[in-house]
Amino acid sequence: MAVVDAGPALVEHAETPTARTRGRVGSLGLVLPAAVVALIALACFVGPLVLPVPPPIGGSVLESYLPAFSPGHLLGTDPNGNDILSRILSGGRSSLIVAVAVNLLGLLVGGTLGALSGFVGGVADTVIMRVLDVLIAFPSLVLTLAVAQSLGPSQTNTILALAFFSIPAFARISRAATLRLRELPFMASAVLCGTPGWRILLRHVAPNIAPQLITFGMLGMGIVIVIEGALSFLGLGIPPPAPSWGNMISQGQQSISATPMLVVWPSAVLFVTVLAFNLLGENLRARWSGR
Amino acid sequence: MTASVGAGRHRAGAGFLTSPGMRLVGKRLLLAVPIVLGVSILTFWVLNLIPGSAAQQLLGPEATPEQVRALELELGLDRPAVLRYLDWLGGAVTGDLGQSLVSRQPVTDLLGERLAVSGELAALAFLISLGLAVPTALLAAYRPNRLFDRLSMVVSITGLSVANYVLALLLVLIFAVQMAVFPAIGFVPLSQGPGANLQSMALPAVAIAFPLYCFYTRFLRGDLVDQLQGEDYVTTARAKGIGPWQVLVRHAFRNSAFGLITVVGLNLGTLIGGTVIVEQIFALPGMGQLMLQAINTRDFVVVQACVVVFAVAAVLANLLADLLYAVLDPRIRYGSR
Amino acid sequence: MSLTDDDVLAAGPGPGPSRTGPAPDGEPLLEVQDLRVRFSRAGRHVHAVNGLSYRLEPGRMLAIIGESGSGKSVSSRALMGLLPSTAAVTGSARFAGTELVGMPEAQMRRRRGADIAMVFQDPARSLNPTMRIGTQVVEAVRAHSDMDRHAARRRAVELLSLVRLPVPEQRFAEYPHQLSGGMRQRVMIAIALAGEPRLLIADEATTALDVTTQAQIMELLVELQHRLGMAVIMISHDLGLAASYAQDVLVMYAGRGVEHASAETLFAHVRMPYTRALLGAIPLLERESHALLPVVPGQPPDLSALPVGCPFAPRCEFADEECGENPPFAEQEPGHRWACWHPVPDAVADPAPRGDRS
Repeated sequence: MAVVDAGPALVEHAETPTARTRGRVGSLGLVLPAAVVALIALACFVGPLVLPVPPPIGGSVLESYLPAFSPGHLLGTDPNGNDILSRILSGGRSSLIVAVAVNLLGLLVGGTLGALSGFVGGVADTVIMRVLDVLIAFPSLVLTLAVAQSLGPSQTNTILALAFFSIPAFARISRAATLRLRELPFMASAVLCGTPGWRILLRHVAPNIAPQLITFGMLGMGIVIVIEGALSFLGLGIPPPAPSWGNMISQGQQSISATPMLVVWPSAVLFVTVLAFNLLGENLRARWSGR
Repeated sequence: MTASVGAGRHRAGAGFLTSPGMRLVGKRLLLAVPIVLGVSILTFWVLNLIPGSAAQQLLGPEATPEQVRALELELGLDRPAVLRYLDWLGGAVTGDLGQSLVSRQPVTDLLGERLAVSGELAALAFLISLGLAVPTALLAAYRPNRLFDRLSMVVSITGLSVANYVLALLLVLIFAVQMAVFPAIGFVPLSQGPGANLQSMALPAVAIAFPLYCFYTRFLRGDLVDQLQGEDYVTTARAKGIGPWQVLVRHAFRNSAFGLITVVGLNLGTLIGGTVIVEQIFALPGMGQLMLQAINTRDFVVVQACVVVFAVAAVLANLLADLLYAVLDPRIRYGSR
Repeated sequence: MSLTDDDVLAAGPGPGPSRTGPAPDGEPLLEVQDLRVRFSRAGRHVHAVNGLSYRLEPGRMLAIIGESGSGKSVSSRALMGLLPSTAAVTGSARFAGTELVGMPEAQMRRRRGADIAMVFQDPARSLNPTMRIGTQVVEAVRAHSDMDRHAARRRAVELLSLVRLPVPEQRFAEYPHQLSGGMRQRVMIAIALAGEPRLLIADEATTALDVTTQAQIMELLVELQHRLGMAVIMISHDLGLAASYAQDVLVMYAGRGVEHASAETLFAHVRMPYTRALLGAIPLLERESHALLPVVPGQPPDLSALPVGCPFAPRCEFADEECGENPPFAEQEPGHRWACWHPVPDAVADPAPRGDRS
């Protein structure tokens, strides 16, 4: 970025105002959601080890439907007498594992595919993009449902199915970023210097498209958590009695008029987690594109 | 070539079929065919991965291997997948989507009414979301970064973070359980009066519409502000001395609308996907419910049909957006010099 | 000598012999006094206009000349209240006696197009791509009159013929992308004329056009200026263009005026070293016998951190310690104002290339 030119450049902007960025994002906009995400992750993964919470399954029916703030059960218990807080933490663990795994897989496979497609161009590019068009032009939840059911409900299968459908989005972003990058002089000079293609991809392309992919990955975390919840909600995700946010909400739905809190607790945690990831993604994007 | 040169001269309508816009739509239509084909192949392949065979599932766990084998033969499941796919495809292009493995009814009969329910739901959700998003975005862009704008942005990011099944249950909790103004579940067909029908559709439609509303508002508001702050024609309009609302609606919105059409077209796939889970929650007899039932009974002929119908709907929506774009945007309609 | 409206009308199109030296004593159409514009963004301030003052008499054409970032465009947009909200405008600009600076938006809006109209640089981007040409002109006509649809349409066709758009009735239904650059700029001018403004600001209106079209558009502007008795401010970075068409020239540097005179006086007696550098083609003192292309050496100053004293001093060959103090922009010869401690004497400032576009 030309720091020296900034003065006149600013005035030029004023003379012929071009598309203005949405303004700078305060660091609070990043720190706050990041802290929320960290807190939730910490609670889910470390919480059950250090806090005195009962196990998430195997509760006694004698203790079912306890209200919140009952002794030993901060958020009360569900119809099977299991501790709700414990189930939320345990469910969050699997939600986060699925979301991280899916986005990591999608980012690596989709990112590589897109970068290759954009970098190599030609027929390969056309073929890859056509195939991805097939996947992207599609209500992915519908196919995910079919895939999840075909493979049988399990965490691994959920991850594989969701990762498969996250590839096109990552690939598109990666390809667009690579195409923009290809126009820049340093890429031409790298090619002219005879640097091998894989080395250019690794050394020049990868670090430059990473921010955009990671930003999208943050939004992707929210999306995957929601879809994973939907699968579990429909009974096609993590099989009960193992807890997940989705199947807790589904279970609570049966008695929503009598004990609405069974729906409210996992829903609230789901919402806060997704919101935090969305804010993180949005603000990262604004920050990276804002200057 | 002649078409694009000549197009500059004649009025709208004349030679419309050969105009650049229509040629664009034709190209997209040709692209849509392989997409739908690809989706059907993908579904077929995926459904073939099912561990327990359909016959086993249909007969229950007590069935003997002989019984299973006999049913497989009867259903033609012993034939290679490629042949079965080609058979299916041959039927599909003539409007025959096969027979349900469970009920033995023709799939097209099963789809009929359910398609209408899902279609009504999607249409309602679409109308609500777009109908509210446009005025909200216009109001927000009228005074960017002021109270209304900031408020609507908070609502949008919130709405985009609420899963539609959570929202659906929240609506049930408030409007059906607490206030009892709408039914929690169930469907009243249009034949029993539009009032009752709309009442049974209201909550599900809102549950699907709200996240879309947030998405459209956010997009349109952002694009409007970009137009207002970055485009020279806006300065020209302001320099004419016309009022700020006129600048916003007649000039900026006119241009933003094109971006919105594209986004809406791409987004209709999400809208259709959203109907699946919401139908389940509200027990609406739509496509989503049919598909979930079929998934659970391993009736993969029905699943296949549902998936393809969803795909065709998404592709058609996209195509419709392209068509609309081509009809509305003079740059495409008349080609550029 | 004084210039009356009759002289202007009699002069006819093109640069006539009626160019005179000092401005007449009558009521000025526009009087800008110590105009300042400051942009603030992310805690940084950019001083785009720093105390600009000039007068414009009715019916005359003033050229405001400067490099990009000299504040010429910003200062004229400030007159119409067209700057973004990040801009703070202070000072005074009186149009026919009415103060424009600080005027409420609603009031300013009624004056836009009716008192002052503007034509912009890039006609491809300045017209709404999704609206028919006719609609855009009609909109401008109806912004300032209660004409009904049909009357406004007739008036719009009239305007389009006035700006010499070929077959205006047919063009009426076309879209901007179907017109050439020159035709689009004619449409822009028709839009600007719709409110019968007393001042037309042409902001680099011919920069994006090829040379032939440029001349046609400039001649159209001069013709309209005379036929309609409008004043015109043409903003340009092209001194040659100014020399060919304008009656008065104001040279801006770093957001202020540095030299202002009638075109004749200015080009015959350049005083400000910056203007001379712009005119170029002058050997930089005797010792430099093989100067290359006429380029103003150095960089324009950083407007977010203006130096004390004359802003041109760092690039000026005559600069000395006296230039550490800002020179006043005063009338130092009759009808000729400049801001410099070391004005160029006539002997040095000889063969200035006169524009030869007409």
